[in-house]
Amino acid sequence: MKQRMSFRFLLGILIAFMLIWTLAPLMWIFISSISPRTELYSKPPHWIPHNPTLQAYDKVLISGEGFRGGGGISAATLFRTGIINSLIISISTTLLVMFFAPLLGYAFSRLDFPGKNLFFLAIIGIIALPGWPVLIGLFSQFSMLGLLDTKTGLILLSFTFRLPFETWFMKGYFESVPQEVEDAARIDGCTHVQTLFRISLQMVRPGLIAVTIISFLHTWNMFAAPLVLTYTLKAKPLTVTMTEFIGQYFVHWDLMSAATILAIIPPVLIVVLFQKYLIRGLSAGAIK
Amino acid sequence: MLKRFSLWLDDKTHLAMAILIPSMLLLLAFAYLPALYSLRFSFLKYNIKMPHDIRFIGFENYLYILKDPVFQQSVLRVGYFMVVATLAVLGMSMLFAQILNQEFRFRGFLRAAIIIPWAIPPVVNGHLWKWIFNGEYGAFNGFLYQFGLIEEYQFWLADPLVALNIAVFIFVWRYVPFVTILFLGVLQSISPQLYEAATVDGAGAVRRFLHITLGSMRRISVIAVVLTLIAAFSVFDGIYALMEFDAATKTPMIYNYQMTFEMGRFGRGSAMAYLVGIFLFALTFFYIRMSLKEDRP
Repeated sequence: MKQRMSFRFLLGILIAFMLIWTLAPLMWIFISSISPRTELYSKPPHWIPHNPTLQAYDKVLISGEGFRGGGGISAATLFRTGIINSLIISISTTLLVMFFAPLLGYAFSRLDFPGKNLFFLAIIGIIALPGWPVLIGLFSQFSMLGLLDTKTGLILLSFTFRLPFETWFMKGYFESVPQEVEDAARIDGCTHVQTLFRISLQMVRPGLIAVTIISFLHTWNMFAAPLVLTYTLKAKPLTVTMTEFIGQYFVHWDLMSAATILAIIPPVLIVVLFQKYLIRGLSAGAIK
Repeated sequence: MLKRFSLWLDDKTHLAMAILIPSMLLLLAFAYLPALYSLRFSFLKYNIKMPHDIRFIGFENYLYILKDPVFQQSVLRVGYFMVVATLAVLGMSMLFAQILNQEFRFRGFLRAAIIIPWAIPPVVNGHLWKWIFNGEYGAFNGFLYQFGLIEEYQFWLADPLVALNIAVFIFVWRYVPFVTILFLGVLQSISPQLYEAATVDGAGAVRRFLHITLGSMRRISVIAVVLTLIAAFSVFDGIYALMEFDAATKTPMIYNYQMTFEMGRFGRGSAMAYLVGIFLFALTFFYIRMSLKEDRP
């Protein structure tokens, strides 16, 4: 009994450590975002602001006061445009992946056709393709095709690099659900296409949800590719615009904190709402 | 017409081709083709700022990069980064997974909470810690000052060794959740009967842990090590946000970006990308083969 007590005590300490390790930095960013600048820059800072304010959010999203970047761009323009671009790029990529990944997964798990293994290797091979060689080549290719500094270019790129992972995942998912229902539908006179849309896709819905949220997360978080392939607010996502903001020699950390909170809201929401699918998607992606 | 098409599509090969060809074209156009472009660049003298002086120079770019002291140091630096980061990630994830495998009241909440560092943009991760370690007003300084551990605020990121270790730390903070989830998945799949049987056979807690727990985690640990090595080697966003091109944290990934897109040296940059890429490719290839092997029944 005594050992049991000390075990619970140790466990309690470890749980507290895990909580602080994970959440304390995020809490501090949140507090920074609602602190008046004078409180934030006092020494030591006010850990809990005496006069909390939403001014930083107002400046970042609406008024844009207090900061003029290169070319007279206000903080609000920088962040607002970044958020809109990020949303457009992430949602489009996700929709494309949602459509193609299950179809490819179906083809590789349920259909027999010549060259199947070769096709599969060609798709999986992209996972092993290192980033910089592709990105350097893409820069030249995009400039020839007029895709530099466009959202379309970024969508095509992120779609191309998400598809292999998600195809692999969906193939595994199809293999884990029994084929009998589909066979029965075939016998009842459904064509392959009808079976695919009416039955197969319904059975892999949990897998499809995992694919969807993981694609969205990856595209939302993307940084190096847009850093190279975009140069104006026409296409820059939030990750890039906020980095530019910090690149100025004087940083307004209250605004930066507000922007950070805005940038992490979508991922945090996804984690909270879809924890189960996310965990399944993550471990299946690595272990199979 | 539509009827004939749907009949044509009912053939397995036809359907597969209809599904495959559009996506294969995209993959060829935006993944394999660009890789070939930069392979060609790596044999050219090609500075994007001097577009009239492009010529074939054989392996000169590769030799230049291999002899470049900045590159050599960046390789050593990333070697240190990979070793420390992988050990830390493995140890902490093992501990976290064990904790989450226990029964306690807020387990669901804690499990969701620990994923957050992995899910937020890596570049934001860099900004966040840059603010915390800020030399003028940072919370880390404030914390130490509050408890009387320092008398004056320190510019932590100005010290090259400290900065490199902070870069390692923020990678570890981001990557531990992912590996924890992998470990937890395996831990939860171990049948409790195995432990009961071992207890009946007289095995103590330590032996049960060593044999059953660690024994069943061997395979996932190898996968986790390979994945962490790949991720640690490729880390770019966090370091760029934290230090940009500062010499203290210049890994091959950062140097590659600087060489190519800041200095405009596409030839040398491509050669470096391929030198570094071969190493990454080997690691990833190893990982995919391991996963695929298990994939076949």
